Amino acid sequence: MQSEKQKHIRNFSIIAHIDHGKSTLADRILEYTEAVAKRDMEHRILDNMELEKERGITIKSRAVKLDYTAKDGEHYVLNLIDTPGHVDFNYEVSRSLNACDGALLVVDATQGIEAQTLANAYLAADSNLEIVPVINKIDLPSADIERVRGEIEDVIGIPAEGCPAVSAKTGLNIGDVLDKIISDIPAPEGDENAPLKCLIFDSYYDSYLGVVVYVRVMDGKLHAGEKIKLMNTGAEFDVVEVGTMEPFGLSKCEELSAGMVGYITASIKFIGDTRVGDTVTHADNPADEPCEGFKNVLPMVYSGIYPADGARYGDLRDALEKLQLNDAALVFEPETSIALGFGFRCGFLGLLHMEIIEERLEREFNLDLITTAPSVIYEITKRGGEKIRIDNPSNFPTTDEIETAYEPMVKANIITPTEYVGGLMELCQDRRGVFNDMKYIDTERVELHYDLPLNEIIYDFFDALKSRSRGYASLDYELSEYCASKLVKLDFMLNGEVVDALSFIVHEEKAYARARRIAEKLKENIPRQLFEIPIQAAIGSRIIARETVKALRKDVLAKCYGGDITRKKKLLEKQKEGKKKMRQLGSVQVSPEAFMAVLRLDDED
Amino acid sequence: MRMERKTLGLYLHIPFCAQKCAYCDFYSYALGDDGIKKNYVSAMMLQMEDISGACREHVIDTVYFGGGTPSLLPLSQVERLLYSIRHNFKLSKGAEITFEANPGTVNLKYLKGLRKLGINRLSLGMQSANNAELKVLGRIHSVEDFGQTYKDARAAGFNNISVDVMYGLPGQSEASFRRTLEYVAELEPEHISLYCLKIEEGTPFFAMRDTLSLPDDDTEYEMYSNAVEFLSKQGYERYEMSNFARGGNMSRHNLKYWNCEEYIGIGASAHSYFCGERYSVVRNAETYINGLEVLEANIPIISESRMIDMAESMNEYVMLRMRLDEGVNGSEFRARYGVDFWKKFGVYLDEYIPDGFVKKNGENYSFTTKGMFVSNYILSAVLDFSPQDLDIG
Repeated sequence: MQSEKQKHIRNFSIIAHIDHGKSTLADRILEYTEAVAKRDMEHRILDNMELEKERGITIKSRAVKLDYTAKDGEHYVLNLIDTPGHVDFNYEVSRSLNACDGALLVVDATQGIEAQTLANAYLAADSNLEIVPVINKIDLPSADIERVRGEIEDVIGIPAEGCPAVSAKTGLNIGDVLDKIISDIPAPEGDENAPLKCLIFDSYYDSYLGVVVYVRVMDGKLHAGEKIKLMNTGAEFDVVEVGTMEPFGLSKCEELSAGMVGYITASIKFIGDTRVGDTVTHADNPADEPCEGFKNVLPMVYSGIYPADGARYGDLRDALEKLQLNDAALVFEPETSIALGFGFRCGFLGLLHMEIIEERLEREFNLDLITTAPSVIYEITKRGGEKIRIDNPSNFPTTDEIETAYEPMVKANIITPTEYVGGLMELCQDRRGVFNDMKYIDTERVELHYDLPLNEIIYDFFDALKSRSRGYASLDYELSEYCASKLVKLDFMLNGEVVDALSFIVHEEKAYARARRIAEKLKENIPRQLFEIPIQAAIGSRIIARETVKALRKDVLAKCYGGDITRKKKLLEKQKEGKKKMRQLGSVQVSPEAFMAVLRLDDED
Repeated sequence: MRMERKTLGLYLHIPFCAQKCAYCDFYSYALGDDGIKKNYVSAMMLQMEDISGACREHVIDTVYFGGGTPSLLPLSQVERLLYSIRHNFKLSKGAEITFEANPGTVNLKYLKGLRKLGINRLSLGMQSANNAELKVLGRIHSVEDFGQTYKDARAAGFNNISVDVMYGLPGQSEASFRRTLEYVAELEPEHISLYCLKIEEGTPFFAMRDTLSLPDDDTEYEMYSNAVEFLSKQGYERYEMSNFARGGNMSRHNLKYWNCEEYIGIGASAHSYFCGERYSVVRNAETYINGLEVLEANIPIISESRMIDMAESMNEYVMLRMRLDEGVNGSEFRARYGVDFWKKFGVYLDEYIPDGFVKKNGENYSFTTKGMFVSNYILSAVLDFSPQDLDIG
């Protein structure tokens, strides 16, 4: 039974493959509902972070409430809940979708369905959302609306007859989209008189308000001053303020009730207390059950992060703490490396999440970083039955201590034009992929399904995929299970001493090629020194690759003439400065740049 | 007791060339017309007059005409300069007066003229005994031209001649370099300067550096160490990293640089170290001339200057002295600075002794041949010029 108020609410998301125009469509909807004047559109409201704008993807969810008067003269409240656009944040996407009743599925009229289009459509279907397809970019000459309509019907299996065909860029047919939102997306349900039940779909830290929690009210009503309880973490707070997310900021209101989307503040200090997916209820009259699907998201990728300048360890800690205020998924703990000194072992949702954190540390906190090769979490059963989890190669047991090693696998879904299938299958094969099946989307495009080890995906897989498909293939994956695997730890020695920061875990079959390649990179990047430097790669005590950095023979200014000695002084001083920045790895000096060059996994081998 | 006058070197920079060599980054340029030479020399004379007041207590014991190509000056202009030197300063009896000359720009008559003006040392730019290599370098002369000039110099009465030789040239083999050395040794000049080609930014060679097929560092080291050995057998002692002398005929002027002694530079781009200050003159002949001759224009001719304090001077001293075969002597260092050399620098140099880069003989520290060739690497670790200081001025 819907109240009159609920009948005039529509809660929806926009989902799309990257670059299919999700943000532009959101802009146009905001503009169309006159929430934002056209001149303000250059600062998109939904994508707040600088990085998000540059990368063109949404990292964190945001939501906004729009007022809209439909053709029939009725006034509606539209809550647009934005979703992150990357596989690393799939869980957050699913929670945002659960807060909605419908989703606009944007498909590029020139590209058709891509891997993330499918993945997002499946997520929306899992959340029982009404999916409204929208074909975008129809202004482009190569737009093929009918083909894309066909794809939506055949591949996703939802009717696309009469779906809006728009150009978010030019604003063409945006009215059709609004009409569809009103007509096709169901109004929210929920009992205002039942115990309170709100789904948290996002939160952020504000230095004045504390944590601001974004919720969708499923049942009940909430007012300022009431005591709330978070059903999964058990934390309790007194509500300071409730309100809605207006286009230009938070707006306090009397009450949040079933069907509404709004915010709560309650002097919450730690964002970790308000996990996405958790349920807010009244402490004294709690709901019977929390909202379904809460997961404590765990990092999938780990990496050591060190300040290039050891003296800035404290700054790095402060920076990580600040980032963590707004990012509950980021975890870190202090770690010490013989080679790199003091730093942190950091856990991330995925590679993109890792890159974003690194970039923010460098950009917003002005830190120069050295980061070790990313690693996944391995599970080891030791002889004797003890089970351990390894997120740092340094802790990997020796081969004879290991009964069985397990590594995480993912189910990968690749969509590609048919001409690249051969190359991509070869790539997956090379990355120890197990082929599941292949489906033709149409005569030109194919969907490939593989089981792949996650540690192969984090080793430059995405770039390899793009380069083998000239940028046309798209990838989506989800973690599936841990599988037994022949894993070994690869160590590198300079002048006979192990450089712990270079160690990593790799499948036995891959060890040899990887060892040779890194040894070559070390040789290219370690400057010649007064003595010869042997470089060795080893599994345990077995050396599997070697290189040598020859001794320096010439570093001299032959001419010192006409009395101009200033130049020589400057030269020596510059050299001295360079040496100060060097990291002493045993008896060998290596610059941070060289170190990063070795770890950078930038080309396909 | 007799008062010892302080000695001073005088360097005169003549920036004119017949053609700019592809590797050269000294201040010099190919001269279109002769008009500027006379004005330039007049400006140099004015600069000498300006500085002379400060040098009353000094005696000039070395003079060096460098360039550029000083031998492009007509004898009459050289004469004016020498007149001005003798007029403005006290020139010691037996002063070493060196003049750089390039083959192809001088003849017997000119050389005789120089000799007559009192020039007693000649530095000839040969560079290579291989005509193909000379051509790549952008030299205007052939080996044969050089041979003729050398013969003329001897005929003109020069008994102290230095020959410049280069190695590490584009396409140069060890064998070819060896032939150049043999050619020079056969002439038996008193002095040989041996330079490794360095590709300097801003030169034509820099722009084409990737296409030059230069010998690698290891080959250059082989060339150098073999040359040291070969020349030693021919009676040439390496007294400085790149300089070799027979019969004690070292360049007294250049030794002033390496001994951290005083000198005054006259002419555009010339450097001075005088009364604790290092300074240099603007790198532009016209600015230089206007600065000296058009007083009301008020154009400064000094482009950079800085006072060298004791800490910096000690570092300079070690940097320069370690270029010499004899290196640094602990007691000389203490006499000069009142500081214990071993505590300040020697202790760090000791680290390089076991691997044969540095040798120690009593209180004397010096580089071995292999140490000399990596001396920047070692000195940058041992010395400490504070960087903030170097950026000032």
